[in-house]
Amino acid sequence: MIEFHLDARSGVAPYRQLIHQVRQALRLGLLHEGDQLPKVKDVVAVLAINPNTVLKAYRELEYEGLVAARPGIGTFVTGTLDGGPLAAHGPLRHELQRWLGRARRAGLDDESIEALFVSTFRSAAEEDIA
Amino acid sequence: MTWLTWRQFRAQAVTAAVALGAFAILLATTGPSLASRFAGSRITGCHGGFAGGGCNSAAIGFLNRLAATTLYPAVYGLGLVVIIVAPAIIGIFWGAPLIARELETRTFALVWTQGITRTRWLTVKLALTGLAAMAVTEALSLMYAWWAEPIGRAISLGASTSVFTGGRFSPLIFATRGITPLGYAAFAFALGAAAGALIRRALPAMAVTLAIFAAVQIATPLWIRPYLIPPRHTTATFASVQAVDIGTLAATVVPGHPGAWILSSAAVDAAGQPVNLGAVSASCFSQAPPGIKEGPSAPALWQCLQRRHVKAAVTYQPGSRYWPLQGIETGIFLALAVSLAGFFCFWRLGRRRT
Amino acid sequence: MSAVLETSRLGKRYRRLWALADCTLSIPGGHVVGLVGPNGAGKSTLLNLAVGLLAPTAGTIEVLGTPPAAGPAELARVGYLAQDAPVYAGLSVADHLRLGARLNPGWDAELARDRVERLDLDPHQKAGTLSGGQRAQLALTLAIAKRPELLILDEPVASLDPLARREFLADLMEATAEQELSVVLSSHLVADLERVCDYLIVLVGSRVRVAGPVDELLAAHYLLAGPRRDPATLPDELTVISASHTDVQTTLLVRASGPVLDPAWTISEVGLEDLVLAYMSQAAAPGHGRRHLEVQK
Repeated sequence: MIEFHLDARSGVAPYRQLIHQVRQALRLGLLHEGDQLPKVKDVVAVLAINPNTVLKAYRELEYEGLVAARPGIGTFVTGTLDGGPLAAHGPLRHELQRWLGRARRAGLDDESIEALFVSTFRSAAEEDIA
Repeated sequence: MTWLTWRQFRAQAVTAAVALGAFAILLATTGPSLASRFAGSRITGCHGGFAGGGCNSAAIGFLNRLAATTLYPAVYGLGLVVIIVAPAIIGIFWGAPLIARELETRTFALVWTQGITRTRWLTVKLALTGLAAMAVTEALSLMYAWWAEPIGRAISLGASTSVFTGGRFSPLIFATRGITPLGYAAFAFALGAAAGALIRRALPAMAVTLAIFAAVQIATPLWIRPYLIPPRHTTATFASVQAVDIGTLAATVVPGHPGAWILSSAAVDAAGQPVNLGAVSASCFSQAPPGIKEGPSAPALWQCLQRRHVKAAVTYQPGSRYWPLQGIETGIFLALAVSLAGFFCFWRLGRRRT
Repeated sequence: MSAVLETSRLGKRYRRLWALADCTLSIPGGHVVGLVGPNGAGKSTLLNLAVGLLAPTAGTIEVLGTPPAAGPAELARVGYLAQDAPVYAGLSVADHLRLGARLNPGWDAELARDRVERLDLDPHQKAGTLSGGQRAQLALTLAIAKRPELLILDEPVASLDPLARREFLADLMEATAEQELSVVLSSHLVADLERVCDYLIVLVGSRVRVAGPVDELLAAHYLLAGPRRDPATLPDELTVISASHTDVQTTLLVRASGPVLDPAWTISEVGLEDLVLAYMSQAAAPGHGRRHLEVQK
């Protein structure tokens, strides 16, 4: 059974953080198909957050096809994430390391690299949606 | 709610039980010896009633012997004090904190939001604690009445000492026998509860309860009790009313009404107009035969007054009115108790206020 | 879900002072509602009216569809925790549970016992000797074990240390999840409420200033920063809640009913605490005391 944690100052909404942590757990192999997610009451008993927040996260995961709720029993993992485990992405990781090297040699500091990456990533995501 | 009322009342109940128990033990250990003294005196089996010499002197002897001890006057006095004071203590320690403490400590916010209504909460608390108050006080009174019966009989036969005094109409005795203690207990308790509901703090409520109750208990025998039933009036000779005190010439009996409660006694002339008794008896004195040093005796004074057509005007309650007066007074106090509880407690706790 | 608390122009006056005025709310069920405002704003008054400890001077109030505390059945549906968690100092923890069992028809004795055990409370300890956090937990046990539909708590964590505060809120959320409770809790600190509330009511100066679901409120309010400008020149879709100016710059917290299109503004999101503070300062500003904004669902 995985355990959730919250970063109150990250600026990311709590329910998004929970979704993120489930997906990470799936990627890292901590959760497999058929595993049960923690019960809502157990999550809120540790984190002291609104139960609706957890319900919202579980609902969105269900909408994405990753989990399914069984009334009266709990919420269980039903799917996997596309792309397989991170270990299988060696070439991508290698390319990314080379790009980072080039960015540093071009004189960008950490913040500039991050800003460049995030803005390009976001505009690409928007183009995908549009 | 019964359980909660009991649980909150437990400490006071234990105190009351201990006090009742101690009092009972005291009376139980001294009562039989008092009864046997009474049986050994010549009062039992005597004839003659109040004025008949035999009973009267037997009663006087019995009481004098009793007064010479330390134990019996002490227990007698203690009993009177306990029964007089019990309603006041109940009013202060049971009544005043009943509602005031809940308001003071804000526990009302807890108990009025459980599953019972405020009306039910108050009804059970007032009824159960009020009944306990009445039961305790009446128990004290009944125990004491059993113990002091011999003394009361001796007093009714005309005997009296400094401690063992007062017929059943006297203020102390009337308030500690019969059913009046029930009424006082209920009244004091309801007074305390109402004061607590109004003032909302226990200590001030206790003080107010004590002050008002004491005032009522003083006022009642003086100004209220004598007039609960319109008193009777009669005019009679000073001889027939046995005005044995030369100084005041107050009537001590009412002819034809043994055991009457004399409220007032004055002098009137043949036409019924008030007479200056001091002037008339002075003139009787001045006509006394020379040679008698202390002045005329009471019977001589009576004859003198009779020759001048001066009579005693007596206002009294006949002895047969003892139980009706007890009942009316108790009824009034019970009615006061119910009104106080109803009006101040139930009304004041309505939702307009916290 | 139907409304758990519905008021219409509700008001309460003590002698000359209106502790609560012109309060109209319709709080849906299934939420944890935060009632926030400065001390003396009327939060306790509103909650006392909701549990029937006070009667209204004006307007109406209905809780779960009936007038508050109309009878034993209605009293059983609402659990209440008063400010400072009053308990009977002379009664033990077990006595308090017995009190709950005797006075509540729907009492769940097993739930109460489990909670007391889990909280490590000594059943024989007199409630007067409990710490503040333990008293709050005992009072919460009493409120929860009667199995209500609605739980109302008046500043439940105000006098608790941070650890006790977190434990209390965690417990409250667990019970909320397990029993599907609707909860209304008040506080004068927004930080207490941010984690647990998904519906917000801001009460300042005896009046409701804003009420609505938290995510909708946050989505509808923005912080605008830009060159110095008179707020009156803004388009109608923007309602200014608070404004501050320097000689060259204006910062506004606005409620927007549509997107902000003016490129002169730098737009950022507003946190819950800043939103509440803005409404509080709006209430304090002269001439703005009467506004009541509600985000319609």
